[in-house]
Amino acid sequence: MKRLPAFGLLVLAILFPLFYKDYWLYVAVIGLYYALLSSSWSMLAGQVGIISFAHAAFAAVGAYTSAILVIRLQIPIAVGILLGACAAAGFGYLIGALTLRMRGPYLALTTLGFAEIFRIFLTAEYDLTRGSYGLQVPLMFAGNKILIYYTGLGLLVMTLWVLYLILDSKIGLFLQAMREDEDGAATRGVNTVYYRLYAFVITSAFAGLAGGFYAHVVGLVSPRMALISEMGLILAMSIFGGLESLLGAALGAIVLQGLTEYLRTFEEWRLAVFGALVLFTLRFSPEGILPKLYELANAMFHRRSQPVKAGSR
Amino acid sequence: MVIGTLYALMALGLSLIFGVLKLVNFAHGESMMVGGYLYYFLATSFIVHLLGLPLVVALAATVPVLFFFGFILEQTFLRPAYNRQTARYDEYVILVTFTLGIFLQNLALPLFGPYNRQAPAIFKGRIRIGDLIIAGDRLTGAVVAFAVIVVLFIFLYRTYWGKGLRAVSQNPEAAASLGINVPRMRSMAFGIGISLTGIAGALLGQIFLVNPVMGVPFAVKAFVIVVLGGMGSIKGTIVGAFILAVVESFGSILLPDPTRALAYKDAYGLLLLIVTLMFRPQGLFGEKVRRA
Repeated sequence: MKRLPAFGLLVLAILFPLFYKDYWLYVAVIGLYYALLSSSWSMLAGQVGIISFAHAAFAAVGAYTSAILVIRLQIPIAVGILLGACAAAGFGYLIGALTLRMRGPYLALTTLGFAEIFRIFLTAEYDLTRGSYGLQVPLMFAGNKILIYYTGLGLLVMTLWVLYLILDSKIGLFLQAMREDEDGAATRGVNTVYYRLYAFVITSAFAGLAGGFYAHVVGLVSPRMALISEMGLILAMSIFGGLESLLGAALGAIVLQGLTEYLRTFEEWRLAVFGALVLFTLRFSPEGILPKLYELANAMFHRRSQPVKAGSR
Repeated sequence: MVIGTLYALMALGLSLIFGVLKLVNFAHGESMMVGGYLYYFLATSFIVHLLGLPLVVALAATVPVLFFFGFILEQTFLRPAYNRQTARYDEYVILVTFTLGIFLQNLALPLFGPYNRQAPAIFKGRIRIGDLIIAGDRLTGAVVAFAVIVVLFIFLYRTYWGKGLRAVSQNPEAAASLGINVPRMRSMAFGIGISLTGIAGALLGQIFLVNPVMGVPFAVKAFVIVVLGGMGSIKGTIVGAFILAVVESFGSILLPDPTRALAYKDAYGLLLLIVTLMFRPQGLFGEKVRRA
């Protein structure tokens, strides 16, 4: 029963290209990119309790790895994206290992520092990355939007499936235990060192995957991908959709991305609006707006029965 | 030395907030930006011109406004988290302050436009000390920053309120049991922290330029300084500021390629940050925090 809405959404998503062509399809693809990022980020932040500001940088790692390999070595795009994900996973391992002993604000600062150094590196190493001009990258499927859309959707479904599989397993339980009380979990025999690294590697890999995908959709990678404001966007989407719900975070990304395009005329105001929205969410409904709406809708639907606590995961 | 003093001032706000509220204010750069704009508008406003007031008055006027701003922010967004005594206070406040920063920055963008503004300098001209020539704006910055730091020290170590702040910083429970209004102190610390940051922004706005993202590079520097000196330690912050100023100026000589050296100038600070966090997370002067 609980899966029904998710399947409904999937059907809607599959039918989407029938109704919308070119422009909105492209918007949806970008939305899928952000959905990949924010669902994997909310896995890290909401489930494991590690607030990392390096997620956008991991996406840039994936994007640049794939872009450079495809351009220089002429390898197939799919292989490039996979290698990008591997590179991001490697960076994730590194950062995870460096920050093993850190908590809360210290961890956030270190990841922020790493993200900024990486962005500076991308801007400065002109020979490799062409600095802030960015790299021109070949498009996937020669730019066929419908195929790209289904690829993105496939990636998202796969990501969510894998992440939920992890959460449903014993490992998910360990991760959540670590979120609530890391020392407590450790005394109960959870290998916290191992699982922290594990969480970092998995989520970074998905960020890298998203980055590689994005590179070959847009056809341009630039250091802007690793900007702090990009990270802010991911954060806004995750919180809006519900930090502790992967599906919610993914939906939040798609909704906000759609909203962004819809509000194109207010271009410069929109991030301010998002900021206000997120502040409001955090203040009044920290579990996210979408789960709350879902709950309300549910309560109206089954007026008699108890409202189901939705989106608790 | 001049840059070091300014660095110290802007990092002190962050340090004070961390000491009392136990949170890193990720909206630090934006607080600085708010201060910069506030000073700019006050200094160019007609009231100041009409009355022929000196610009120092405009600078002084930013302080109560910023204090109030910080005070309100704490009451609105941070107080509930503290009251709820949530186990995940750390994460909540990171998210809130970070979002606040994004919000302020993107509010300033459409409101004031992305272009640079030159805030009027309090003292123009140059001063020659021996062979050294110092531009007036930098000198003003250093002098005012130094004065503010002295006032802050007097406040912290000679007044009742200052004592209260330090007590809460050391042990909130004990402070509360001795009749100190802890929530009030927290709001006050946030207000003072924002004012300090804002004055630093106003001073930096005279030297460099005022724009919506002016605070970002300085915020990163402030993070480095505070971590280096030890989170929440006032003396450590000042020492950290001078260390960073020295490292930055020597670091840029290290790389031969000038464009690359300039680009990596900020990276040195960040590297310093990560190395400190790895090997001595309590900083140079910080106390070792008991792991909760």
